[in-house]
Amino acid sequence: MAPPPAESVAARIAPAPLQRDSKINRDLLSVMDPPSLKYFLLLGLAILGVVQAAATLLWQTWEGLGIAGYAHPIFWGVYIVTFVFWVGIAHAGTLISAILYLFRAKWRNAINRSAEAMTVFAVMTAGLFPLIHIGRIYKFYFLLPYPNQRGLWVNFKSPLLWDVFAIGTYATISIVFFYVGLIPDLAIARDRSTGWRKLLYSALSLGWQGTSRQWKSHNRTVLHLSGLATPLVLSVHSVVSWDFAVSIVPGWHATIFAPYFVAGAIFSGFAMVLMVMIPVRRIFGLEKYITDYHFENMARFILLTSTIVAYAYGVEYFIAWYSAVEPEQTAFFMRAFGPYWISTWIMILCNGVFPQLLWIPRLRTNVAFLFVLSVLINIGMWFERYVIIVGSLSREYETAVWGLYIPSAPELSILAGSFCWFGMFFLIFIKIFPVVAIAEVKELAIHERAHGGAH
Amino acid sequence: MPKLVGVFESPGPVKGVAGKLQGRGFRNLEIYSPAPFPELDDALDSRPSPVRLFTLVGGLVGVVTGYAMTIWMSLDWPIMIGGKPFASIPPYTIIAFELTILIGGLLTVLGLFAVGRLPRIRLDSAYSARFSADDIGLAVECEDRDVAELEALLRDFEAKEVTLVEA
Repeated sequence: MAPPPAESVAARIAPAPLQRDSKINRDLLSVMDPPSLKYFLLLGLAILGVVQAAATLLWQTWEGLGIAGYAHPIFWGVYIVTFVFWVGIAHAGTLISAILYLFRAKWRNAINRSAEAMTVFAVMTAGLFPLIHIGRIYKFYFLLPYPNQRGLWVNFKSPLLWDVFAIGTYATISIVFFYVGLIPDLAIARDRSTGWRKLLYSALSLGWQGTSRQWKSHNRTVLHLSGLATPLVLSVHSVVSWDFAVSIVPGWHATIFAPYFVAGAIFSGFAMVLMVMIPVRRIFGLEKYITDYHFENMARFILLTSTIVAYAYGVEYFIAWYSAVEPEQTAFFMRAFGPYWISTWIMILCNGVFPQLLWIPRLRTNVAFLFVLSVLINIGMWFERYVIIVGSLSREYETAVWGLYIPSAPELSILAGSFCWFGMFFLIFIKIFPVVAIAEVKELAIHERAHGGAH
Repeated sequence: MPKLVGVFESPGPVKGVAGKLQGRGFRNLEIYSPAPFPELDDALDSRPSPVRLFTLVGGLVGVVTGYAMTIWMSLDWPIMIGGKPFASIPPYTIIAFELTILIGGLLTVLGLFAVGRLPRIRLDSAYSARFSADDIGLAVECEDRDVAELEALLRDFEAKEVTLVEA
């Protein structure tokens, strides 16, 4: 029998319209629904905070760093503290997206997108601070190796230059990582949107269709980026710690600094993920996707890293005593009982003591407790850097370089502005991009559906 | 040439039918899926993804650039710093390391674009928004005379719908 011509078959087979969209798409894309008035108020507040900080920065650029409270002998203050703080925050995102990916920890799927976004925004915040700190912002390009009339090159033996390369690479790779993960989800959003959003998602999704060839190279790309980002994330905070450890200031000059800073970074980063995700889950009703199980796992990470950080605090004191180097011993005595004692005890309580409550299983799933704890940890980690940086600089070897530094109002204005800057980008992000990695959540769901009966 | 699109609910049968079609000599096959499935990775092409080469080349370019740049710049205007050699390898290793990651990562993404054929302006005629919802699609280009037979084959492998589009 001769086969029927194609036309007749075409007539027989109805074209397949999109019936009901998948539940996962509807749930997760609904986060991007038109925002409420409250959202705009919050966004407005954040923008206001950024504007006031920008005004302060303009004033500081005009007047000079004198208004920043910098005075002999302390020339590293709130700006450097805040720089280290935000770089640290960034680390949890890369840990979740890269390291947990390599360990095949499937639970990361629900939180990796927002954690990666946080990484990008935190690095964008952190990156501003060295520039704010140099005072003459318009000379920032002196930090880069560029050919100039003087024929001079930058000093590659300086940790400050290692920082330029480490932070620059970290910012680039985290943006790339974030974007590569977004492409399939942007295609999902493209297929379901109209107007300017359709245009935006069409452009950003690059014509992604989820062909097997695309997925295969996508998997490979994510794997390789994870493999590259894992040593990167460990190196970035190590390099930041060497800004201090490579000098000979008492309280800074310690080999423990790199692992100590990396643990602290992951610690504060997870606290920030919790601090942001708890309200997001509540407001957008994502309890089905971001479960208590996720929060509990993050609480475990916080407990682990808190213990490492607390151990490092102890070891620092031990080394100061054991080394029998008097300036070192004085530095650590002054830390606990000198003019900056309040900061030190805040740091010990918030980072070393309170998180230990997470040994109690009931508290690890208590969302209210986790939220309060994450705020305390962020405060504690900011003060940790404050204690290390300002505390150590205030007592160096000679009495001639002893001094006191108190943060000035312009510095606090810019510090507040940095939180608003971070918040502003996050608020915009949750309305423009899918806040949970839809394709990855779906991968698990479709497999469950396919094997639902069999297993 | 006509193109048949089968719509499936799970990846298993898609792999089966793709293997069968390839065995029968159909070369213009495409699979669309809403999520990555390990089963489908090798369904059409079992060779390892060439993205790995991009990473390797990028990493090597990065490490060489890192050392070459730092060493050359230090020797171009030699300044003695801290009694160390002009070209001091340990600190330059940090720069070389960071550039390995940077260029390696960027070239990896370039690899994704090159191998995955991105960006593209037009979507395939066989592509549909269903394939970014829950369904998996398999498109096969065939002669007019094969249409009915292939439709039956797709349905044998649990295709819940089969559609005909002109390529």
